[in-house]
Amino acid sequence: MSDKPLHEEKPPLFPSWTYWYVLVVAWLVVLIILFYLFTKAFS
Amino acid sequence: MSSLDWIVLVATLSFIVLYGIWKSRGKQNMESYFLGNQSMPWYIVLLSIIGTQASAITFISAPGQAYTDGMRFVQYYFGLPLAMVVLCITFVPIFHKLKVYTAYEFLEQRFDLKTRTLTAALFLIQRGLSTGISICAPSIILSSLLGWNLYWTNLIMGGLLIIYTVAGGTRAVSYTQTLQLVVIFSGMFLAGWMVVHLLPADVGFKEALQVSGKMNKLNVIVTKFDWNDKYNIWSGLIGGFFLALSYFGTDQSQVGRYLTAKSVRESRLGLLMNGLVKVPMQFLILLIGALVFVFYLYFRAPLFFNEAQLQRVYATSQGPALHELETQYNTLSTEKQQQVKTLAAALEKKEETAISTAKEALQATEDKAQKVRSEAVMLIKNADPTGDANDTNYIFLHFVVHSLPKGLVGLLIAIIFLAAWGSIAAALNSLASTTVVDVYKRLYKTEETPEKYMRMSRIWTLIWGVFCIAVAQFASGLGSLIEVVNILGSWFYGVTLGIFLVAFYLKRIRGTATFCAAITAQIIVLILFWQEKVSFLWLNAIGCLLVIAIALVLQPFLNRRLAK
Repeated sequence: MSDKPLHEEKPPLFPSWTYWYVLVVAWLVVLIILFYLFTKAFS
Repeated sequence: MSSLDWIVLVATLSFIVLYGIWKSRGKQNMESYFLGNQSMPWYIVLLSIIGTQASAITFISAPGQAYTDGMRFVQYYFGLPLAMVVLCITFVPIFHKLKVYTAYEFLEQRFDLKTRTLTAALFLIQRGLSTGISICAPSIILSSLLGWNLYWTNLIMGGLLIIYTVAGGTRAVSYTQTLQLVVIFSGMFLAGWMVVHLLPADVGFKEALQVSGKMNKLNVIVTKFDWNDKYNIWSGLIGGFFLALSYFGTDQSQVGRYLTAKSVRESRLGLLMNGLVKVPMQFLILLIGALVFVFYLYFRAPLFFNEAQLQRVYATSQGPALHELETQYNTLSTEKQQQVKTLAAALEKKEETAISTAKEALQATEDKAQKVRSEAVMLIKNADPTGDANDTNYIFLHFVVHSLPKGLVGLLIAIIFLAAWGSIAAALNSLASTTVVDVYKRLYKTEETPEKYMRMSRIWTLIWGVFCIAVAQFASGLGSLIEVVNILGSWFYGVTLGIFLVAFYLKRIRGTATFCAAITAQIIVLILFWQEKVSFLWLNAIGCLLVIAIALVLQPFLNRRLAK
């Protein structure tokens, strides 16, 4: 394992991990909305 | 199965075993055996996490669940992405910083030896027994559908993977899981494509979805809250969050997967990607079940999908009554075949009144068919009280065995084995790491040579493999094995999660208070279960909250005693 201090381990694509966490939660929200529309469209 | 199916099955399984052995080459020590020298990139971690969680039952049971109850089961996974975020913020940096082999090592550094040993013991009991049952559950289904000998099926289901798991440790487990998932997803995609392909020529994917939706099988989101309803968006988000947090944060079979990553960054990426892909993946698996439902509207479905069980009841005094029900069911199936064609034609013409009329007619016949099926299930229960009266797990494989072309049947059966191997191999590796690191090395032989620890790691992987197969050979008489696994988990998961939550978030609580709280909570959980006071699904939450509450109450008393 890398011996770099934890705070130095930058994430890919974004400047901080917070953006990744927001992305995961936002993706969940988008999925729920899409699933809701899917349920309504085919019911 | 045809000769071609046998060739595909044997070739696929042999290839995976040989690949696992090839990945096992090279000199090893305990760090490489249990942590893969912490060298794995995030995508291997991701596939390993998915391969560990997705057991054979995931691919057998989920399509059957969608067939019977619709796709709302996917909501059960809504809490998982949220749990991934919490794990990345709290659990992952601490586990990596302390350079632990197992999650339970952290508990000694935070609390004391007794709390670490207790939690490791709870894990070993729960994971050892549930892995044995995980071997038996798909074996029973395959042996019933294909007429195989159950003991030999158990032996192959739980035995062949031991070769590469003992030889290569966590590295072999991770790399074989990656290859297994490639085969599994390819096979499941082919199965989904074949369901639509086998429908009548004028029914495409869109038409199949429309029919399935009209029959309420595409009910992905249920917003109404109901305590008695297991699958709605609220139980999925809240209950699913705690379940995923305890499974990924405290179960060594999962912790061991992301500890193999080469850095905190790779562990986090693997977990977060799991949070991104898991829900869509389950959605697609369930969609296959919703399409299989449409297939069985156009083609006759059996009265009961576990045909071996049906034949056993035919041989009893209830046989004539069952035959009468089957005749009624077949007549209703013929009616449904006509009605679904009328519904599809109305949907194509987009005539709302005709759609509504056709849907109501088809639904009424489906309700009658379900009533006949329920009567048949009651009759099966009465005729054979020890038999399995739930055929949900047989639906998808019945479709595979009876409807797919030669070669593809062999591939789909191979997928069941590979899915089982992925989760069982990770479980054996985690059982061995916990036994060697938390018990053998910590309590008995603290100053052995690295070679001796390495040898013991292999020996314990083998011992746990043999133990789990032995459990599988005795598990067939336990009734619904999925429920047995869930009950076993609910006995211990809540208490274990409670211990870890106290460790992470309640800094002023010490080891003795947590240990006493965990013992007390565990006893209360078991008493509640034996007295049947609450449904086992609630025991997770009760166990977790009890540990936290008792530890909070106990710590001030212990502080006062210490002050005196």
